[in-house]
Amino acid sequence: MTKLDTIKSREQRTGWILILPALILLLFVYGYPIARALWLSLFTQNLGTELKPVFSGLDNYIRMAGDGRFWQSFWITSVFTVVAVLLELLLGLGIALVLNERFRGRSLVRTAAIIPWALPTALIALAWAWIFNDQFGIVNDILLRLGLIKTGINWLGDPNLAMVSVIIADVWKTTPFISILLLAGLQSISPDLYEAHAIDGATPWQSFYKITLPLLMPQILIALLFRFAQSFGVFDLISVMTGGGPGGATEVVSLYIYATVMRYLDFGYGSALVVVTFLLLILAVAIASFLLSKIRKRLSGVA
Amino acid sequence: MFYIQPLNRLRKFFHNLGFWRSTGIFTALFLSIILLIKIAIAQQPVTLNLLMTAPDADPWRQGLVKDFESKNPGIRINIIEGPNATNLIEDLYTSAFILGDSPYDLVNMDVIWTSKFAAAGWLLDLTNRMTPQELAAFSPKDVEGGTYEGKLYRIPLRSDAGMLYYREDLLKQVGLKPPETFEQLMNISKYLQRNDKVRWGYIWQGRQYEGLVAMFMEVLEGFGGFWVNPDTLEVGLDRPETLKAIAFLQNTVKQGVSPPGVTTYQEEETRRIFQSGQAVFLRSWPYVWPLANQKSSKINGKIGIKPMVHAPGQSSAACLGGWGLGISKSTKHPQEAWKAIKYFSSREAQRQFILKAGYVPSRRELFTDPEIVAKYPHFPQLLKVVDSAVLRPPIAQYAQTSDILQRYLSAALTGRMTPENAMKSAADETRRLLKAGQAKKPA
Repeated sequence: MTKLDTIKSREQRTGWILILPALILLLFVYGYPIARALWLSLFTQNLGTELKPVFSGLDNYIRMAGDGRFWQSFWITSVFTVVAVLLELLLGLGIALVLNERFRGRSLVRTAAIIPWALPTALIALAWAWIFNDQFGIVNDILLRLGLIKTGINWLGDPNLAMVSVIIADVWKTTPFISILLLAGLQSISPDLYEAHAIDGATPWQSFYKITLPLLMPQILIALLFRFAQSFGVFDLISVMTGGGPGGATEVVSLYIYATVMRYLDFGYGSALVVVTFLLLILAVAIASFLLSKIRKRLSGVA
Repeated sequence: MFYIQPLNRLRKFFHNLGFWRSTGIFTALFLSIILLIKIAIAQQPVTLNLLMTAPDADPWRQGLVKDFESKNPGIRINIIEGPNATNLIEDLYTSAFILGDSPYDLVNMDVIWTSKFAAAGWLLDLTNRMTPQELAAFSPKDVEGGTYEGKLYRIPLRSDAGMLYYREDLLKQVGLKPPETFEQLMNISKYLQRNDKVRWGYIWQGRQYEGLVAMFMEVLEGFGGFWVNPDTLEVGLDRPETLKAIAFLQNTVKQGVSPPGVTTYQEEETRRIFQSGQAVFLRSWPYVWPLANQKSSKINGKIGIKPMVHAPGQSSAACLGGWGLGISKSTKHPQEAWKAIKYFSSREAQRQFILKAGYVPSRRELFTDPEIVAKYPHFPQLLKVVDSAVLRPPIAQYAQTSDILQRYLSAALTGRMTPENAMKSAADETRRLLKAGQAKKPA
């Protein structure tokens, strides 16, 4: 009994020692900046104080509650994230299902499908800004040639259309990520299941609904989680395409924080914005991973 | 190989010398090289770095810089071409200064950056470098725009101010004088529109951007209101004058005097409409004048300028813009930098620059200089505009303050919020912002 315990505790100790370097690294890379942002958010440090930090308690958070621009940008970020991620999921799932079938030149198509994801975002954003340009853009050119519109649409100049444009660009860029992830999940599903289901007389739609979707759920949730966290912090794509305009219609939280810190030099308030956004994001991720573990449990219970 | 032999000989030579002696020879060689480099550097001309928008760089290089360098052989001006958008220039200066050792010696500043850069402690105090007599030659508001909390940080080179352009020919046809008040402007517009003389009455910049608040400042002051008092930090946005100013702008659209799209226009859109002859009045900056009077322009020689209209009993206001030079605190050559500023802002340099590039001068006497007036006959009238200039609040947190007003003003003008609610929110947010900085100022 005691001997077993010592072996166990010895193993645990070794485990801790082995994990220590990674922990220290994480502490420096993640822990320190987070703690520093929290600390800085309790100070007023801006041009009004000549950039010197002055302790002000929760003032920054009180100011944030009445800051219409923060809540507007938070809402815009949420809309952007939800719409973009849902579209990516639907398209990504479709592409993954197609790529999972056998056809000539499949490996070529698989490679081609990941190219948008591999390109640098800033370059893509620049290209999309030109695609949507009101004078020389290809979108307007196609629509004009088809006779669908009479004069060029100012895509990036109209608040709603600008939002549509950045969402299209984001979907184009990140759908491959989801489709590759789901493709990996599809390939891990045993073909025997489909065969047995088909013998029982199931239609393809039924087997998609009864086998593919439930067994793919873990990958779907992981993809959603990744994309959600990433999309909520979107910066480069929108910064290059619209810069948050027109009139703040595409100003996501990260752009507002950037402006607060880099343009207004309001470091304390910027930190408070970072902290609140960070906490809200943690909350969302926590809910998502709770759902994830619940589904995993249910699946393993069935198996 | 050919180098083996001499190398071997050299090795033998040092071997024979022994360790200490060869070390001594190396040290002596090393030191003399350093000394030579030092002497060479000392005789090199001092280079002053200056960042500006790319389109501005050429007129600078051809005129001012060439003359200065030929008069001061020891100093070179290195102009760095930045992006065309001035807010990106501001960002570039800001990140350079935040990182500490800024590569820029001279700082080319828009009037609205001065307070920010000064409050952040990035600029040298220039107060004692110019006598009050020397400063008196400049337009007083241009100088005021270069001061922050009583100290001078920026010497004005170029001025800029908003004003009213009008179609002299149309007004003459119906025998009317240019308007003085908001009401007259509306009535003349409607009269001309009714008689099919012109499509639109008055064109202004209504898009959500810095130009919107510049335009709004003039209307607001014209109604006797104010935005932020820089001394007391009092906010005047929820006062009745502000609502009157918004009502005027809304009415221009409601009563068909301005096109509905005016709330999405920046300077260029408004100029195109005016220049195509479709409008009687335009609120804009001095840059429109030469463009509207080009040979190809439909209104060539048919326009006049005057200070902005105002409410009865109030006076005109012209939103002040313009550029000036300051010295970066981290520069290693403050004396040379001052020499450059002194030259660039001198009467003769400005005169040459204006004759070549057509900018608006910051020195008052140049507006009536015979040679300049011969080339730009509208300058005496422009002086009247510049004399009615008002500053956007010269406070450290101007950028934030302006963004708050831009958001809510645009919401009010496009009908997304009632003017009362919008201005109440704008005033509250501005007060919270300024309080957050002010109450806790370190003593």
